[in-house]
Amino acid sequence: MIKLDKVVKSYKIDEETTFYALKESSVEINEREFVSIIGPSGSGKSTLMHLIGLLDKPTSGEIIVQGRKISQLNDDQVSSLRNEFIGFVFQQFNLIPKLTVLENILLPSFYARKKLEYDPREKAMGLIKRFGLEGKEKSYPNKISGGQQQRVAILRALIMEPKMILADEPTGNLDSKTGGEIMEMLKELNEDEKITIAIVTHEADIAKYGKRAIHVKDGAVVK
Amino acid sequence: MSYFLFIVKSAFEDFRRSKMQTFLTSLGILIGVFAVVTLTAMGLGLKKYISDQFDSLGTNTLFVAPGKLLQGGGFGESSLLGNRFDLKDLNRLKRVRSIKSITPLSSKSGTAKGAKDSEFSTIFFSSEAFFDISGFEIDKGRFLDKRDIDKRAKVLVAGPKIAEKLFGTISEAIDKKVTIDNVSFTIIGVIKSKGGGGFGGPDYDSYFFGPYTTGFIFDPDKKFIRFAMKTDENINISSVKEEVKDAMLKRYKDDEFSIVEPTEILSVVNGIFGIMNIVLVAIASISLLVGGIGIMNIMYVTVSDKTKEVGIRRAIGARKNDILFQFIVEAVALSILGGALGLGLAYAGILLVQPFFPAYMDVTSVALALGVSSVIGIIFGVLPARKAANLEPVEAIRYE
Ligand SMILES: Nc1ncnc2c1ncn2[C@@H]1O[C@H](COP(=O)(O)OP(=O)(O)OP(=O)(O)O)[C@@H](O)[C@H]1O
Ligand SMILES: [Mg+2]
Repeated sequence: MIKLDKVVKSYKIDEETTFYALKESSVEINEREFVSIIGPSGSGKSTLMHLIGLLDKPTSGEIIVQGRKISQLNDDQVSSLRNEFIGFVFQQFNLIPKLTVLENILLPSFYARKKLEYDPREKAMGLIKRFGLEGKEKSYPNKISGGQQQRVAILRALIMEPKMILADEPTGNLDSKTGGEIMEMLKELNEDEKITIAIVTHEADIAKYGKRAIHVKDGAVVK
Repeated sequence: MSYFLFIVKSAFEDFRRSKMQTFLTSLGILIGVFAVVTLTAMGLGLKKYISDQFDSLGTNTLFVAPGKLLQGGGFGESSLLGNRFDLKDLNRLKRVRSIKSITPLSSKSGTAKGAKDSEFSTIFFSSEAFFDISGFEIDKGRFLDKRDIDKRAKVLVAGPKIAEKLFGTISEAIDKKVTIDNVSFTIIGVIKSKGGGGFGGPDYDSYFFGPYTTGFIFDPDKKFIRFAMKTDENINISSVKEEVKDAMLKRYKDDEFSIVEPTEILSVVNGIFGIMNIVLVAIASISLLVGGIGIMNIMYVTVSDKTKEVGIRRAIGARKNDILFQFIVEAVALSILGGALGLGLAYAGILLVQPFFPAYMDVTSVALALGVSSVIGIIFGVLPARKAANLEPVEAIRYE
């Protein structure tokens, strides 16, 4: 479904020095998979995830999404792919503070360019009910707990019915019990909704949820 | 809810969260719009007021006033107040063929006491011809006539406003006595409203009109402040002017009197307001420029404050143009907010001064103020908005 072909990400530090955040790597993620990206801090996990999520452009190499080369798409087309195809979940939840829970969940649908086959508001209310956030629709993010915020972030990722959810240390800011609940939620989405899930983590306990692991070390995918 | 409304709503949510900053930012536009709208309202009001005073006079009317009234495109150092002319001048001008009717004018101000109330007012002393020249229409009773002039009758025709003020109703005023400076007059008629007031300033509706011969009671020298005359409609007004000038030159030097058409006065008024408009536009431009720069500055701050937010929005699928649009809308909202507050303040100010000054706000200035504010928002919002739109998604999302 998504393939990184000999992808390199490097930063020019100064005239002579180039820093390789990701050395030449080829990675493939298949439909309905649950993948863990594991590695120590600074190893390049987030870099890899941003590339998979089409947030970042590789210095060299090609990213192919459902047979389409990303280098041949313009910025608007890539934005639309992110909008329709991928959902992001972050360690710091990354909700927009001035928007209510419901507005945060609906936000991706405001940027949709294709006609949706469902009413996003109804869908959002359904998700809110299903994942135990009833009564919080009108709350602002700072008025709900971290676990609830992360659930809102997952619902925001779900509103466009994406093929894939990318989660960068989704439990990093949560205690282990709440973190477990979030992981169960992602597992449920993978099993019931057939959504491809890739999570970034450095905790073995969390990585266990994945059916396959991609190990990153010093900017290189090791296996 | 449409995307646009959603953006506007979130912009105002931002403003609500930082009220003081929002207010201070929009202050530049606020002051600019307030200053321009207030000054325009005063200018417009004054212009309308002056025009109304002369509009009622037909095209074939002339004034003779002492001194140089109009000079070099503006009002000269005339003595509008000096009583310079006398009966001799009146008789001389009456002999000018092409003048159909003529009236001398003098005035007396004082407290007028009626049956119900008293009020400071002014009597215009004229001949019966003044009613024709000024285009007055009678409401109740009658105008002055020639007999009133000949008999030096102590009669007055009242403006509707003053009649109502002193006697309660217009009909009540007829045949009643009014006392001004210990002289008692009988009211013989009330004219129809000439409008032109409504600003609280002096207007015909608040004046009395009496026989000029009766006016000599207050002025033993028997002087007039000016003559007003109506010419034959078929005769070229400039040739009449020449005739009047010749007549006046027999007694006065060229610079001791002026012959003016109302249209000339209007064109001078228009000229003055034209200059005022240029000054206004200059003030407006400077203050709006300053206001706009203030908005641009705060928008740059906002963009760096919201780098993370831009990253989030880009991650979930916002395009560059969505981000551009969002920040421009925010800048425009800020600017319109300032404009609307300025407009509101100006409106309050205008209501406040209206009892003393003929200020007048029109729809054009409202539309212009809001239109200009939006344009300012777009112009000064576009650069910061472009900066936001061009942020690299990955750098924005990593930004702390
Ligand atoms: N814009 C940049 N310029 C230079 N170096 C960068 C840039 N972005 C990331 N890096 C570097 O790339 C390396 C990999 O960063 P990355 O965020 O992918 O690590 P990570 O594995 O996610 O670490 P963590 O577990 O701490 O989140 C780091 O050394 C980081 O400093
Ligand atoms: Mg990371």
